[in-house]
Amino acid sequence: MKKYGVVGWYFFAIAVLFVTWWFISMIVRLPIVPSPVLVFQTLLAVFIKSIAIHSLYSLWRIAAGLVIAVFVGFPLGVLMGYFPSTDRFLAPIVYLTYPVPKIALLPILMLLCGVGEASKIIMIFLIIVFQVIIAVRDGIRIIPKETYYPLYSLGASFKEIFFEVLWPASLPKFITAIRVALATAISVLFFTETFGTQYGMGYFIMDAWLRVNYLEMYSGIMVLSFIGLILFAVIDIVEKYACQWQYK
Amino acid sequence: MIEALDLTVRYRSQNEIHVALKNVSLTVPTGMICAVIGPSGCGKSTLLKVFAGIIHKYEGKVSIDGEPVTPAKQKIGFIPQNYGLLPWRNVEENIFLGLKIKNTKRKTERNALLAIMHQLGIDGLERRYPGELSGGQQQRVSLARTFLLKPDVLLMDEPFSALDAITREEMQDVFFALWQQYEVTTVLVTHYVEEALYLGQKIVILSANPGHIDAIVDNPLFGSGDIRRKPEFFKMGLELRNLIKRSWNQS
Repeated sequence: MKKYGVVGWYFFAIAVLFVTWWFISMIVRLPIVPSPVLVFQTLLAVFIKSIAIHSLYSLWRIAAGLVIAVFVGFPLGVLMGYFPSTDRFLAPIVYLTYPVPKIALLPILMLLCGVGEASKIIMIFLIIVFQVIIAVRDGIRIIPKETYYPLYSLGASFKEIFFEVLWPASLPKFITAIRVALATAISVLFFTETFGTQYGMGYFIMDAWLRVNYLEMYSGIMVLSFIGLILFAVIDIVEKYACQWQYK
Repeated sequence: MIEALDLTVRYRSQNEIHVALKNVSLTVPTGMICAVIGPSGCGKSTLLKVFAGIIHKYEGKVSIDGEPVTPAKQKIGFIPQNYGLLPWRNVEENIFLGLKIKNTKRKTERNALLAIMHQLGIDGLERRYPGELSGGQQQRVSLARTFLLKPDVLLMDEPFSALDAITREEMQDVFFALWQQYEVTTVLVTHYVEEALYLGQKIVILSANPGHIDAIVDNPLFGSGDIRRKPEFFKMGLELRNLIKRSWNQS
């Protein structure tokens, strides 16, 4: 019953948003604000034909950047959180590079790695990796020392301490960091896809705009938003499942 | 048997060297409960951490059954003040933690787990998480974990102090019943005189600045049944209190 209620409210929110959009389109009556009904018709007509391949390219770039960021960021966060000596050495490097707006590095990345896939994936990676490092490090730092004591006195190895304490304790912060970073990553992905590629949602949206095909442009925006929504939902489900002890 | 000979522990805090324990010598024979009582800052937790293999930097000799303290080889049961349960593991996983680390978990252990949970009155809670349990229940889970391991030594750091008075006495009885069954060599740190008197065969009085042993008292009342309401208990408690006051005021 409760679950049905939550889903119900989501449908209600979707309805409110679309009705608002429809009203605005009725009032302004400009081609740049088309009615949602027309946009949906276009979306259904062109999705398989032209949007699907672009959305797959975008998803692949996000996934690749995310996976590399997790594989690099998680171990670094663990080392910095668990071993103060590592933190003393690495924290200044992380703190000095974290506030640099990564998107400003795009021109450099494109010169170094070309305008192809590599520079786009590295961009996503750079945006996510810092959030992961800092969240995991802080998640491990706040573990009370006493939590380790029974394991130390049992003679647990580092591997056992990792799986019994470090991994489960940092998981909630780690997942939250990914959720926050992904929102930025999607915006940046859009921007990078307007350069040097024929594929990706960014390319599709900008191309439709240049062709003054506003209905296709809106279809692209809808799909890109939907990709974001799906990613958020997946992260939420993973978190509910993996961190269920937090909700008891 | 747990033995400490001329144990001195120093630690550095903000460029000052602090002596937590100085020249502590103590022997706890096999199958005995030794209660350690002392004011805060007297190093009683430090002493326990040395026995538990958590603190490695010390001077002097410390051994368990004649061997140097090595957590990987010996079975050390350690119950910290907050019970030491992992909040992300359910009750069953928490109780099995000791056996899991020691690689001795077998299929048959499931029956032993259910038996000890029943004995401790926590049956049916296997799937719960520590956050869903009361303090007394968490304490029982912690005891179940430790006794299921059948440890060589048991070390408890003020295990009952976070509980209300009634639950505390109940848990002392629960612990004592278990202990009688296993007769494991135990060091129990406390700041309650009554707890030391009820559970300690040997009572060690520590003083602070730096932490050292002031007196070791053999407790004649140990194990003589329900003694808490008897006049001897109050009388002995008063004597112990005076002894403690004198030694703590001196330091």
